[in-house]
Amino acid sequence: MAGDASSIPEFDQEKYDSDEQVKIICLGDSAVGKSKLMERFLMDEYRPQQVSTYALTLYKYSTTVEDKSVVVDFWDTAGQERFLSMHPSYYHKAHACIMVFDVQRKVTYKNLTSWYKELREYRPEIPCCVVANKIDADLKVTQKSFNFGKKQGLPFYFVSAANGTNVVKMFREMIKRAVDYKQNPSDFMDEVMQELENFELEKKEDPACDAVKSDSPDLA
Amino acid sequence: MSYEAKRCGVQFSPPAIILMYRHKQTDQVRKRVIPVRNFSKYSDCCLAAERLKNHLRHQDYLGGVPLSQLERLHVVLRDHLLGHSLQHSLASFQVDPEEDLNKLGDEELARKKGHMDKLFEQNRRHKDDPDFVYDIEVEFSPSDQEKCSWDGESDDGF
Ligand SMILES: Nc1nc2c(ncn2[C@@H]2O[C@H](COP(=O)(O)OP(=O)(O)OP(=O)(O)O)[C@@H](O)[C@H]2O)c(=O)[nH]1
Ligand SMILES: [Mg+2]
Repeated sequence: MAGDASSIPEFDQEKYDSDEQVKIICLGDSAVGKSKLMERFLMDEYRPQQVSTYALTLYKYSTTVEDKSVVVDFWDTAGQERFLSMHPSYYHKAHACIMVFDVQRKVTYKNLTSWYKELREYRPEIPCCVVANKIDADLKVTQKSFNFGKKQGLPFYFVSAANGTNVVKMFREMIKRAVDYKQNPSDFMDEVMQELENFELEKKEDPACDAVKSDSPDLA
Repeated sequence: MSYEAKRCGVQFSPPAIILMYRHKQTDQVRKRVIPVRNFSKYSDCCLAAERLKNHLRHQDYLGGVPLSQLERLHVVLRDHLLGHSLQHSLASFQVDPEEDLNKLGDEELARKKGHMDKLFEQNRRHKDDPDFVYDIEVEFSPSDQEKCSWDGESDDGF
């Protein structure tokens, strides 16, 4: 079941609570190039761990961010629909998400909507970016603007796993953001709660706000 | 090597791979029929292709033929044994930009990726290349808001 999948027996996800470990997931449709991007960034220096029942390849990568050493676990997932039930375990405790589409296949761009929606159900606030892969196939696409994610303020990258364009830059920036997020988890729910508390306080201090109160009964 | 592979194809019965090659010394183009033995609809095409490529009698001729191409030829042969038409086999190697590949099984997905690999390998920069650069950064600024035609046709949150 979905709930059980959050703890994959082969390894322990508790470790992601420790300071020096971050987990970054790579999502997107089948054959958009998620694995090729990982391989281009890591240049076969790291032996991946395959967990085939979970359609998952794990890469462990050590680096430093602002003089602190960090171990990054990259979770390279599979796009095939038959692994849908595995998704909760992908999202579990992730600190950042790389969403990839293929500039040669429009469906993969359209499907970002459902990938993003699902991501936000599990991880409402982690940093996320949109990656347009395979630009080597048609450089003209870089003249176009892709508006998905603009509203949400997601960074956008034009990349090519084949010739390497912007691959390293994208991964480095996402590692940095994952670490930042971990250090300051500005939890979305917490923020909303805080807003509500402030609101309540103000009301108590100022009776003139009573009118507002009746307008928003669901906030109480 | 003294043979240069020009083209290849398949013959359904008896099952064989057909190779057109040029004999470099004599500059003659010749045809070679390479029988595919011990092959059934349950066979693993990748293994069969590898076996053929390393076959003592044929390896000199097949040197210039990529393994992936030999594998595809075996897939066509196997599809035939399964009763699929040639059109069906050829279509399965093509990538339709509108098709949702998430719904495919492993083998069908591998066929599509095989097709994509051609361009990938062609555009690939290898780390052994003398001009290889690990970190390539290119800034792209969209030319005066050319709207991407992929946005805005529907109300799905774009
Ligand atoms: N031209 C080009 N082709 C690419 C590029 N990246 C990947 N490909 C091709 O796309 C195919 C699929 O890439 P993968 O990395 O296997 O895709 P994936 O997203 O990991 O797919 P799943 O794991 O099945 O979900 C590869 O076989 C390559 O041929 C790229 O930057 N340029
Ligand atoms: Mg993959």
